[in-house]
Order: sequence, then C-alpha cells, then structure tokens
Amino acid sequence: MINTLNRVLLIALIVSLGLFTVQPVFAHHSGAGFSPDAVKEITGTVKEFQFRNPHSWIQVNVTDATGKVTEWSIEWGSPNQLGREGVRPATFSPGMNVTIKFHPMLNGSPVGGFIGAKMPDGKILGKWDAGE
Amino acid sequence: MNTKTLRILVGLSFMLAPCVSRGQAPAVTPSSVTPFDKLPDWTGLWSMMGGTVFDTATQTGKGGVVTHGVREHPPYTPAFEKIYEEHLALRDADRFPDVLTNCGVPVGYPRILNLPDTYEFVVRPDIFYIVTENGPNTMRVYTDGRKLPAKEDTWGTYTGVSVGHWEGDTLVFQTIGLKGNRDNDSILDRTGLVLSDAATVTTRMRKINENTLEAQLVIEDSKALAKPWNVTKRFRKGKPGMFMYDYGCAENNRNPADTVTGKTLVLGPDGKPLN
Repeated sequence: MINTLNRVLLIALIVSLGLFTVQPVFAHHSGAGFSPDAVKEITGTVKEFQFRNPHSWIQVNVTDATGKVTEWSIEWGSPNQLGREGVRPATFSPGMNVTIKFHPMLNGSPVGGFIGAKMPDGKILGKWDAGE
Repeated sequence: MNTKTLRILVGLSFMLAPCVSRGQAPAVTPSSVTPFDKLPDWTGLWSMMGGTVFDTATQTGKGGVVTHGVREHPPYTPAFEKIYEEHLALRDADRFPDVLTNCGVPVGYPRILNLPDTYEFVVRPDIFYIVTENGPNTMRVYTDGRKLPAKEDTWGTYTGVSVGHWEGDTLVFQTIGLKGNRDNDSILDRTGLVLSDAATVTTRMRKINENTLEAQLVIEDSKALAKPWNVTKRFRKGKPGMFMYDYGCAENNRNPADTVTGKTLVLGPDGKPLN
C-alpha cells in the first residue's frame, strides 16, 4: 500500500525521470555482462531495495507456474544519482508487487540492468515502451 | 647526559625544526595570490558533459567506452600504442578491470576530469580543489604562489602535484609527479588509455558561459606520446540547491573485479558470483 508521502514522491519521481537514461546504471562498472539489446520482463514481489552505493539493487522474488521461487537481482543507478531524480528508499517497499523490464545477463543468471518498472498503481518508473 | 643538557638539546631541536622544514618546502610568494574579489564564481554542482570516453575528438567507432570497436587515437609512441591495443582486446573480452570497480585507489589525474556524477570546483585565493562525488576523489591545485617542486622531490602518485595561477578568469595549472601506468592501476577511461610516469599536464580552466566550465588539457609524456596531446573536457552547471552526497563505493559493491581473470563479477544477494 502506498502512503500519501510515497504517492507524492512517486509522482515527482515519474515526472523527473522523463529524461532519465540507463547510462548511469553502469557508472561504477562496465556493464559488459548485460545484453544491451535483449529485454526481459518479470513480475514479482519486492524482497528488498538496496538503496546503497555504488549501485542500487532491487531484489524481486518471482514465482513460476510450478510454484518455484527465484530471487532476481535488478541493478539500477547509485542512490546519489537516483536520489536527485526523486527515487527514495521506500520507492520499492518489501511486499510490493511490481513488473520490471531489464537487460538480462548474458549467461542467463537471474540478474538484470534496470530499464523500467510498472508500479502497483500502474505508474511507470524509467522507460517502458519505445520512445517513452 | 644530564637533565640540563638534555633540555638544551630538545630546545635547539624545536628551534631548528622549522628551518629544516622550510628548506624542503617550495618558496611561496604571497604577493602573487589573487584575492577573493578577483576570482570567478564557480560555485554550485557540476557534471561532466558527454560520456566517459576521455577524448571524443579522436574517437573512432560509435558507442561508449565498453562498446567493441570504440577507441581513441592519442599520439602514442609505438610502445604505448601496443599497450593500448592489448587493453582494447581485454576490454572486448570483458577482461579489462577498471580500478574504480574495486573501490580502492584514487582515479588520478587527468581521469578525475572524466567521471560521472557531480563535481565541486572550489576556488580560493590560495588553493583550488576538485571534489568529485564519484569515488570520492579530491585533487588540490596550489595557487598561493609556490613553485612546483624539483623532479627529485616528487614521486609518482595518482593525482601528482599541481601548482597554478590565475590569468584573469582562467585558472592555469601544471601537474607533475604522476604515477601513470607504473603499477597498472591508473587509467584514463575504460577503453584502456594509459599514460606513463613521465606524464605532465598543463590545464587551462575557465567558464565559457554562465553554465559551462571548460578544461583544456595539454598532456606531454616523453615515454607514451610522440607529441603533446590536446584534450578538452566540459562541465555543465547543475540546478541550484542540488546536494552532493557521500559515495561509499565499498558500501554495497556487488561488482568487484576478479583479481585473477580481470573479469568484473556480479555478486548475488548472498555474496556469491552469478557470472
């Protein structure tokens, strides 16, 4: 459930992220392990949002058709960069249901570079459709 | 030795200590210091314009520093062109570790002018500071009228020793005593550009308009370069009221470089590599 403060922050965030690019995700390391052209999408429950330097990580539990749960690690920008754009530690709260688009790891590990997220109220963070 | 003699010797040692120190320090001429009211206003936060390709003027290939085919063309000597080509090959194989990745050493000069995130350029009459959020890194340029130390009084460090002066609104400074590629831990960007421990840099910084700072670098290196290498970096002023934050690189570093293979690892939430 998003409280009023988080809702205000989220709106500010969505507005401010209009021009956000994915480049800052790889400010600390090369990002060469991610597939720059492939895009994958998962829907799951936020386990933890590691809003810490040098990069933020969104940990998401995804349950498949057989009931097996896989924990995905989605890498995003530094809290410094994201914080100036309106992201806060509570942007992804534990238990929140989200759908995330990302560039997957080349070797198939449950890891990706953040592109965008569809939040519980349908709002989009980052990029979703082409040209968005 | 009795107590009285000891007291005299201790007293003499304190009297002589400043003389010895003065003998090692470069001469300072305060009359050449530019006062506060004659200095330009470089306050606020700044961000480097463009990506982290160090010298876009000589870049060939489209993309960023880790894109296959992207490289720069400094006027390298054959020996350093060979080193650069070896680094490019490692980069293409994702086996060229960036020292930034392990959150350890300073980025050094001139790479400190080639970083993402925010900058502060702190102007004072006696000193100029470059403070970067990324890293974090700090570099000092002394503008108090002192001279550069003699070559034998420097030893290779990441940012070296810098001394400068103001020519109107332009800060001009020279940097010597850089370690370059001596220990394979100082690069200019992730394509694998390096300099040697013979590198010196002359930098001219000025505001070219209200929101843009420009740094023009002339890099000379008798081992690495066949002729001076001119590079320009620009910085855009951020919105008023922006905050600079700390950047504890080791706080949650899930991308250390494997010290054996050079591969950048991706650690899972349990700390075990996922790649």
